[in-house]
Amino acid sequence: MFRISALALCLLAGTALPSFAQAWSYTGGDGETVTLDAVPTRIIAHQDAAAGLIPLGIRPVGIYADSPIEAAKALEGLDLTGIEIVGTAWSEVDIEKVAALDPDLIIGEWWDRNGAWSGGADVEAALAPLAPLTGVAASDSIVGMIEEYEELAASLGADLDDLAIARSKADFEAARAGFQAATAAKPDLKAVAVYAGADAIYFADPAGAAELLDLRSWGLDLISPEGVDAAGNNYFETVSWENADKYPADLILVDNRSASTLQTALAQPTWTLNPGAAAGQVTDWPAFWLRNYAAYAGELEKLTAAINAADPDLAP
Amino acid sequence: MTAPVSDRGRKAARLGLGLLLLAMALVAIALLSLTTGARAIPAETVWGALTAYDPASTEHRIIQDLRLPRTIVGLLVGAALGLAGAVLQGATRNPLADPSILGINAGAALAVVLGVAFFGMTQLSTYVWLAFIGAGAAMLVVYAVASLGREGATPVKLALAGAAITAVLQSIINAILLTSPRTLDEVRFWQVGSLAGRSIDIVFQVAPFLALGAVLALATARLLDGLSMGDDVARALGQRIGLSRGLAGLAAVILAGAATAAAGPIAFVGLTVPHVARAVTGPGYRWILPYSMVMAPILLLGADVVGRVISPPGEVQVGIVTAFIGAPFFIALVRRRKLAAL
Repeated sequence: MFRISALALCLLAGTALPSFAQAWSYTGGDGETVTLDAVPTRIIAHQDAAAGLIPLGIRPVGIYADSPIEAAKALEGLDLTGIEIVGTAWSEVDIEKVAALDPDLIIGEWWDRNGAWSGGADVEAALAPLAPLTGVAASDSIVGMIEEYEELAASLGADLDDLAIARSKADFEAARAGFQAATAAKPDLKAVAVYAGADAIYFADPAGAAELLDLRSWGLDLISPEGVDAAGNNYFETVSWENADKYPADLILVDNRSASTLQTALAQPTWTLNPGAAAGQVTDWPAFWLRNYAAYAGELEKLTAAINAADPDLAP
Repeated sequence: MTAPVSDRGRKAARLGLGLLLLAMALVAIALLSLTTGARAIPAETVWGALTAYDPASTEHRIIQDLRLPRTIVGLLVGAALGLAGAVLQGATRNPLADPSILGINAGAALAVVLGVAFFGMTQLSTYVWLAFIGAGAAMLVVYAVASLGREGATPVKLALAGAAITAVLQSIINAILLTSPRTLDEVRFWQVGSLAGRSIDIVFQVAPFLALGAVLALATARLLDGLSMGDDVARALGQRIGLSRGLAGLAAVILAGAATAAAGPIAFVGLTVPHVARAVTGPGYRWILPYSMVMAPILLLGADVVGRVISPPGEVQVGIVTAFIGAPFFIALVRRRKLAAL
């Protein structure tokens, strides 16, 4: 009885609040608080923010992406019908399309290491005059970021008790339990995350990637490269293909933002110097793009299968 | 009365000795290229990898899979670029002629960019064919445009048509790259010019073309000497100048197209080296061509070795190093001595 009335109250509140034109305020990842007279409804979101919000039921009117939509890994599998695409390259956004959409709010992500919003300073300068810009911060845990998206979505009127959301979360919890069981069963398995270029192999520093920190906290022994590049590229250590075995690992995670990265790796004659690569123990690294439980569950299941199939005693 | 003859004999002996010394320097650079890299491998291990290959040895694999193909590609591409530059400068009588001025580089680059942007090709082995087709097509268009009008494809018209077509192709390339960051990301390493990551398969793909082009180029030496005296003199000597120019152009397209296919567009080698060769040998393509053919790979492989060690742990691509070395060198050359009027 009590539960039903509570639910009724929630429903009432959910529908009634906007009509009262309640003031809305949110403190973004940059520490600044945005306050509006009413809960914003016309939202333009960066692709990563959209990937966090759409599964929670908050549909932006426009999305600015870092690449053509079909190549934007974060948006894979999301229903984008009716959403206008106002940018298809990093640092670029179509101001006229944005203005025509008459947005109340723009949601990006704050990247503290760069001191910039998604898309960089140019996008911020272009969008800021049209509507307030806010969003969560890219942090040290994807789960933490998803929780911040839930908070933001709730403030925007999302119903987080929606069954689909609960199901995604349950799927994720199951996938995470499976992943933890897999890593617990193979405590000696060593893994390393890489990006492969034609010029060099790039070993990722887990400290710079929220999903790698998550994986490490769930028991995966991820190698940290000794010296991360100083200038510009401080998320990786660049290593010549002659030293592709500098960090020997049983399992190699390859950046899957573009399918051609793995092709480039396989085409290198010294790719197989690394024992994991020689044994074909290679799987996807969902690099920097996970923003919701459904995508996370799918990637975790792939990783779990790779760990279960891997021989953990290849690397010294 | 025999003085002129023995003078000529002495000159030939001197130039022959010079060529021998350069060839020895080339061998030395090639050995340096085999022993230099991000991984320290002792010289005797390098020798072992070449003479008694052991697939179980990591060091042997690195020599055989990375440094040997890279060195061979450097030798072939360097020789091809040097020859192509010398032949083009002779055939067009333009001291600034090099593969880039006749649209060859831009044509190859456009073909690769189109392949990546619209057909999803991302592997070096497919770039080779794209680049080759693009280089040939661009050269044909340039020649066709230059041939319009009564006097046919004169050197000046060839250079102008080449510059114009290059500008057109370059703007198309830029339009595609600016709207497709993915393509830019894929081709930017190819576009600078590099010897890294080339497998031995690429050597086999381009070697037949390079051999054909080299034979053809060396065979045009006499024709180029005729052309260097001016069209009227050449014609008076009974030379069919259109045919001569066509043969030389064909040799240059085959050479530059195959070189660009294998290593990407590399600037300055084809432009600079023939001038250095000419400064040593004096006029006469009988010597300029072989000198260019030996000097250019010395420059290219030398630049590649420098690029490998200059900024560890990464590498600087050979196209960047040759531009860095080539540009000031070329300026010095222009300032020190009047460029030979061709």
